[in-house]
Amino acid sequence: MTNVQDEAVTRLDSAVSEVFETMLERSCDPMEGEVDTVEGRIVARIRFTGTVDGECLLYASQATASVTAEALLGTPSEPHDPMVDDAIGELCNMIAGGWKSKLANPDSDCSISTPAVTRDGLEGYRTQFGTKFSRNYSFQGNVFGVVLAF
Amino acid sequence: MRALIVDDSAVMRKVIERALRQAGLELTEVLQASNGEEGLQMLRDNQGASAPLALILSDINMPVMDGLQFLETKRQENLAQGVPVVMITTEGNESFVLRAIAAGAQGYICKPFTAEQVKVRVLPLLRAA
Repeated sequence: MTNVQDEAVTRLDSAVSEVFETMLERSCDPMEGEVDTVEGRIVARIRFTGTVDGECLLYASQATASVTAEALLGTPSEPHDPMVDDAIGELCNMIAGGWKSKLANPDSDCSISTPAVTRDGLEGYRTQFGTKFSRNYSFQGNVFGVVLAF
Repeated sequence: MRALIVDDSAVMRKVIERALRQAGLELTEVLQASNGEEGLQMLRDNQGASAPLALILSDINMPVMDGLQFLETKRQENLAQGVPVVMITTEGNESFVLRAIAAGAQGYICKPFTAEQVKVRVLPLLRAA
């Protein structure tokens, strides 16, 4: 990995950890190794525009997304509950916002979009941005992935 | 006490309401809007209500009408004057904070947040109002 990617990964790990500890009261750790082992069907996407052009994608299986929504809300989620997609979108939003706020110049002019959530998985995903990396994370045995491209 | 929460995420509206209750606020009603335009309409509908709103919390990044435009339009229409407004958003950089304060926000909370942070930011505003 290049220095730029190393720094981006460190910032991403920190942002993910902060979101989980603060909002879900759970620890969440990065996983080493292959990144395509996550069975991701639900995908949330946030776009960065401005001094940083790019995108952040968070993808998770239905089971992991349901557990995440329950942890965030403190209540059980129903099957096909729209709150599950909403929770994954908001999680992506907070992680992308946290990553952006940890940039070398956090006051630089960079805005983030509202989250877009689909159930199309990541098959066929291509990005227009030059630097891209994927990272898996695990909390209490539940695995999800994050893709950052800029 | 009545409050208005403006956020495009229903999950976040629930999380914010829970944080307000954990902060000790005795909420009798929580109005919920999914964007600034809906929030403005609720403020217009509530003009002259027997139990006025005591607090407004709003996100910034929202479709249809964002939180900054919500604040600016609210001020132009003289809606909910004197009611404290706290922005809760992932946009934590200084330029957004300054723009929100210039548009009429009294407080600012960055996501992710704890219930304690909500308490520390909101309670002094309610005491001062």
